[in-house]
Amino acid sequence: MLFNPVDQEVLEELARIVGKNNVCVDRERLLAFSRDETPPERYQHLPEVIVTPSKAAEVAQILRYASRRRIPVTPRGAGSGLSGGAIPCHGGIALSCERMNRILEIDEINMVAVVEPGVVTNELNREVEKRGLFFAGYPMSLETCFIGGNIAENAGGGRAVKYGVTGRYILGLELVTPTGDILNLGGKRVKDVSGYDLKSLVIGSEGTLGIITRAVVKLLPLPTAKVDLLVLFREVKEAIEMVPRIMTELRVIPTSVEFMDEVAFTVSCRYINENLPYGEAGAMLLVEMDGTDLERVELEAEEVGERMLEGGAIEVYVADNYTTQERIWSVRRSIAEALMVESPHQSLEDIVVPLSAIPELIVHLRRLSDTYNISIPCYGHAGDGNLHATLVKNPHMSMEEWYRVQDAALDDLYHVVKELGGALSGEHGIGLKRCSFFERICDPAELALMRRIKRVFDPAGIMNPGKIFCA
Amino acid sequence: MRIAVTVKQVPETGDVKMDEVTGTLVREGCESIMNPLDLHAVEAALVLTQNHGGEITVISMGPPDAERALREALSMGCHQALLITGRAFAGSDTWATALALSHALRQCGPFDLILCGEKATDGETGQVGPELAALLDVPLVTYVGRIVEVQKGKIIASRYLEDGCEKIEADLPALLTVVRAVNSPRLPTLRGKKAARSAGISHLDESQLGLDPERIGLRGSPTRVEKIYRPQITRTSRIFHATDEKKAQDAVEEYITFLREKGVLR
Repeated sequence: MLFNPVDQEVLEELARIVGKNNVCVDRERLLAFSRDETPPERYQHLPEVIVTPSKAAEVAQILRYASRRRIPVTPRGAGSGLSGGAIPCHGGIALSCERMNRILEIDEINMVAVVEPGVVTNELNREVEKRGLFFAGYPMSLETCFIGGNIAENAGGGRAVKYGVTGRYILGLELVTPTGDILNLGGKRVKDVSGYDLKSLVIGSEGTLGIITRAVVKLLPLPTAKVDLLVLFREVKEAIEMVPRIMTELRVIPTSVEFMDEVAFTVSCRYINENLPYGEAGAMLLVEMDGTDLERVELEAEEVGERMLEGGAIEVYVADNYTTQERIWSVRRSIAEALMVESPHQSLEDIVVPLSAIPELIVHLRRLSDTYNISIPCYGHAGDGNLHATLVKNPHMSMEEWYRVQDAALDDLYHVVKELGGALSGEHGIGLKRCSFFERICDPAELALMRRIKRVFDPAGIMNPGKIFCA
Repeated sequence: MRIAVTVKQVPETGDVKMDEVTGTLVREGCESIMNPLDLHAVEAALVLTQNHGGEITVISMGPPDAERALREALSMGCHQALLITGRAFAGSDTWATALALSHALRQCGPFDLILCGEKATDGETGQVGPELAALLDVPLVTYVGRIVEVQKGKIIASRYLEDGCEKIEADLPALLTVVRAVNSPRLPTLRGKKAARSAGISHLDESQLGLDPERIGLRGSPTRVEKIYRPQITRTSRIFHATDEKKAQDAVEEYITFLREKGVLR
């Protein structure tokens, strides 16, 4: 697709819409907007201009103008995405939500909050916690990521076993379409079957259908009791086999069940100076249970822990206060960063399979590691089947060889995942990074329908082009 | 060896809020935990008994709820726990606290070694350990970053000071206050937690400790808090404007002159 460049006239028009101070072509800032958390050497691309609108009406004017002038627009939240969704791969306008960052309302009767897309996820939680409520979306980057980005990517995270992913908590959206219409989809209502569920179509559409300028998010009563178990196993297989048994045998739905293989936790512990005695361990599970009655939660944790020991666990550590909980969660949360430090050339994957297929998937990961001569540490949300297998470049490979091996290994992996009834991405999105694989793996009729839907929303094709579908 | 470890229950300060008006810690809704530095004292005791055999008594003074901190220590592997508790102790300063602790330790002793965290994260005074050593009349080594060895009635410990380390040998019984660097505390295990949950914790009040009511609680506390305030940080900043290239040149000149005036540059 051919786009027009951002020239002086475009800059003037943008300045007229949002004010001169909110149009930026400063190279330093453009650079910051050229990347997210994907490897920059492969995916980085500069926008031509950054605009920071403050309200839906301005966003509508920008999109209408960009459609008319055929200038690509890439929406951006905090830039903590892992699929290249916020990378302006065709240049053009990077539209930042950073100024739309107000919590507009906390409605305790309806148990909802109305927020703008630039609100940091944890900030919302800090506000609603004061009223005994919480927002159940829990991406690992919650200290920095924006709600708008969470919705656009339908972010998952560590609590999905019990609470599901972001989309479950989005009751309403204000969406500006690429043609400049401002739509109100859904609202402060739990049920709604009036017509097509466009709100759900927009959630997880990776910024390809429009820009979210406001959201009504559902809040839940804040759980007051929480117990975490860190369970050490000798073998990956033993750990993985325990995961479904927590739910099927003990009838307990944990908040999270996180898995870490040996490479993942060793690298992470080293990175954060954690001296846990993990010498004999080959795998770890982090299991969290929450509720409102501490004694009951403690009892559940104890049952789960006992069952783990019966299932061959070497040791079960219990964290029932903030200090120890932070200590064990930081092992899990630091993995991606630690692996990055260990080897900067890698592909962080986000595959998801049915729980029952995880053992077979693990066998395949070992095979891939041998076949392609790369290491593949694996960790992630075992409780919902979403694993972050990470392909790490073999230090002996040249970059060219690495890209070739990576693409071959990913193609192999994605076909295995499809066979197992899984999908390419559980929570990071297709974005820029996986679009070529997605086009090959996705059913052609389904893909064609998706493309047609995209065209209906965005006839000029200016809305985050190059994401989900290769441009 | 018989080791006593003193612990304190403190509000969790990871997410601490301050009262804007009074400048004090808002304790409401705050989770209570064992003082993080005391975890290091507990760990040090556990390592010593692993290597030399013996028994650890963990002791605290506080409301009945402080049992939670004691149970955390038991779940890590301490053998018994004592809680000094009662209305009469309310408002105790570090002196009254150390006095009550010293009575309890005498009563349940003798101990070969007493370990304390360097200070509590709420009060930040670091006084109870040294006061306790004085009241028990035992040698004191503060800021211990490494316990070098224990043998033949002596302990050698390395103190971590601002500009170096100091190795000290002391006769036992002695009292050590430890800093973070001394070790990395173990996490409680499930087995430890279960045992700790059903363990009995002895409560001691002022009469059991033979303490004169005049010498404990608020009445026995010589410390008077006159005023609590947040220090005001005042900065007089100067901004050198460099909005375009020409101004940048001038700004650099001005900045250099400024640094010369202040004696930073010669």
